[in-house]
Amino acid sequence: MTSPDTRGRRRREALRPASLLAYLVLAVGAVLTLAPFLLSFLTALKTPRQFASQSPLAWPDPVTGENFAELFGGGGFVSPVVVTAQVVVVVVVGQLVFSIMAAYAFAWLRFPGRDGLFWLFLATLMVPQVVTVVPLYTMFSAVGLSNTFWALVLPFVLGSPYAVFLLREYFRGIPADLLDAARIDGAGTWTILWRVVVPLARPIVATLVIITVVTHWNNFLWPLIITTGPTWQTVTVATAALQGQHDSNWTLVMAATTVAIAPLLVVFAVFQRHIVSSISLTGFR
Amino acid sequence: MTPPVPHPLTRRTLLGSALGLGAAAAAGCSPAAQQQRPGDSGAQRTVTVRLWDEQVEAAYRTSFDAFTAANPDIAVRTTLVPFADYFTKLTADVQAGNADDLFWLNGSYIQPYIDNDLLMEIGADFDAQRPGWIEPAVQQYTRDGALWGVPQLTDGGIAMYYNTQLLEAAGVSPAELADLTWVPGGGEGDTFLPVMQRLTVDALGVRANEDGFDGDNPGTWGYSAAQDLQGIYYNFLGSAGGAFQDAEGRFVFDSPEGRDAFGYLVDLINTHRVSPDAANTNDNGDFTRDQFLQGKIAVFQSGIYNLKNVADGADFSWGIVPIPAGPRGRVSVVNNVVVCGNAAAEDADAVTRVLQWLGSPEGATPIGASGAALPAVTDAQPAFEEYWSGQDVDPSLFAEQGRQPSIGAPTGERYGAALTAWKPFFNEMFLGRLPVEEALAQAQQAANEAIEG
Repeated sequence: MTSPDTRGRRRREALRPASLLAYLVLAVGAVLTLAPFLLSFLTALKTPRQFASQSPLAWPDPVTGENFAELFGGGGFVSPVVVTAQVVVVVVVGQLVFSIMAAYAFAWLRFPGRDGLFWLFLATLMVPQVVTVVPLYTMFSAVGLSNTFWALVLPFVLGSPYAVFLLREYFRGIPADLLDAARIDGAGTWTILWRVVVPLARPIVATLVIITVVTHWNNFLWPLIITTGPTWQTVTVATAALQGQHDSNWTLVMAATTVAIAPLLVVFAVFQRHIVSSISLTGFR
Repeated sequence: MTPPVPHPLTRRTLLGSALGLGAAAAAGCSPAAQQQRPGDSGAQRTVTVRLWDEQVEAAYRTSFDAFTAANPDIAVRTTLVPFADYFTKLTADVQAGNADDLFWLNGSYIQPYIDNDLLMEIGADFDAQRPGWIEPAVQQYTRDGALWGVPQLTDGGIAMYYNTQLLEAAGVSPAELADLTWVPGGGEGDTFLPVMQRLTVDALGVRANEDGFDGDNPGTWGYSAAQDLQGIYYNFLGSAGGAFQDAEGRFVFDSPEGRDAFGYLVDLINTHRVSPDAANTNDNGDFTRDQFLQGKIAVFQSGIYNLKNVADGADFSWGIVPIPAGPRGRVSVVNNVVVCGNAAAEDADAVTRVLQWLGSPEGATPIGASGAALPAVTDAQPAFEEYWSGQDVDPSLFAEQGRQPSIGAPTGERYGAALTAWKPFFNEMFLGRLPVEEALAQAQQAANEAIEG
């Protein structure tokens, strides 16, 4: 139990000028970080006329839900949310399964050219996504897969160099004695991987889930290029499509972005503890 | 010794994951797919049309319902692609053979499609319809006697929207505003600048024609001068007697007329301070419109494409008057949009029939009746005017200005690359940081180098 003396000392420390300054800086940082989200939400609650005729910072008056109603009624936003969720689920599961297997092979299995192959694989991290877009588009068009669900997931479902790198480094930190003991007990490679290594690697796996969900929920360039029309539109592409040549539709766009970030907030709430540890593990921002 | 297993991933977990993956993959069906399934109408042939305007897309659906009722063997589907990505995506899709059977194009982007034989010629099958299309649109898309698209939308000419209350506060009547003239360099005979100065008020309520006016602290601007190609500077250049491009598509705006027009605009912003600073407008094409709708700009010069935005967004009384006349009168840019047939379309006969429908008054009337845009099919235009007269708005001024002398609309291969090349110089010019003469010379050289590749 904390004594009154300790509490008093903490209060005095908290009131020191240096601490006050730190809190002030943190408060300003928090406001700057949260303000765009708040502005987005408040704009979504305005009528287009109010948005056009008043300052963007004006409070919604009257508060309206018409933008959300239009989004899910005439705006056809249900399909993009469903499609994006399907893509994210398939990609997350696929990337985890294949990246874990690849990382384990690179970390613990011995085969000729292992390290060379790993560094070659890792080098693909340096290739910007935009460079591969045209060849990928050509390949998918040639086999008739453009504007399909598989075109959205296939380039990503078989793992990513980043995930393999993170997992391999983490796997290598697991004591070899542990794996040897399992082997002495009769466990094979498959059993060691899924019953020993992966359970011990839960923090990094959780980190990868977060990174992959966020990355693919927000993916824009590839879905934009490979899909056409409403059938396989993802959330990001559907949001961009709300803007016309001469009509920016800001209230509708802000309603869409509010809806788009909601699942990410849920992911954050569920994985909050892991996100904090993931920052220390990866420097992920 | 058995190694510690904190939370083992069991076979059940793995199996569950695999099943989840399979279920998600199997569920890889889109709710939107069920809404757009071809053949629902019983038609054996399907034609697809790609466009960038959501409002016109809704009008097209009405139009195509009527088409399919009259042509039960052909169903028509629309594909909406956002304007910001439209031309990049269309280029990729045409090259890969994934483009729609019909697609919209504008004057800035059509040339490469013509040069590479990617479009169906609008030939003898359309001869009976051609007199029914507005002539500037036919001219804009005709090359060496061949027409390459069926005119769909026209912007008409440019005009000025005004805020009645701000005019009344300045003692300016709409009639006075409707009869203004600008003169290069200002001075004698220039009636435009004095009116805009009366309409401009600083934060302390001092007008720009009064002593003590502080342009650094704006309250209300009189006019919407900005680096706006279609709404502003093409029209000033045309009214000065200049051209932006010559017949071969080369840029020729660095001319005495160009220096007059751009010099006048830059002075409105940086010397007379009757328009917002270019720092606000160079990269935000909506700034002047938004400020007008918020009652902070008295006169907003723009096209029919902003009619709906103004009608929906303005909570004050407003009206429309003609643009100011320059040394060569009122000269406006008239831009048009056409729908083109894909030369690689499998069912050329069906594509031709849909094109003919879109070029007919019956096919184009839903566009006008929705109020979304002015149809380029002459007999469909009354539907547009009827829609807006029902909203107590008279849009006829745009069509009227469109029939006046015009300056050539943007055209030519690599126009987009040229725009990217000249824009940095225009940015500096409108900011008042680069003299007009130097900026125009450098911008023109950069633009012409860009089109030469």
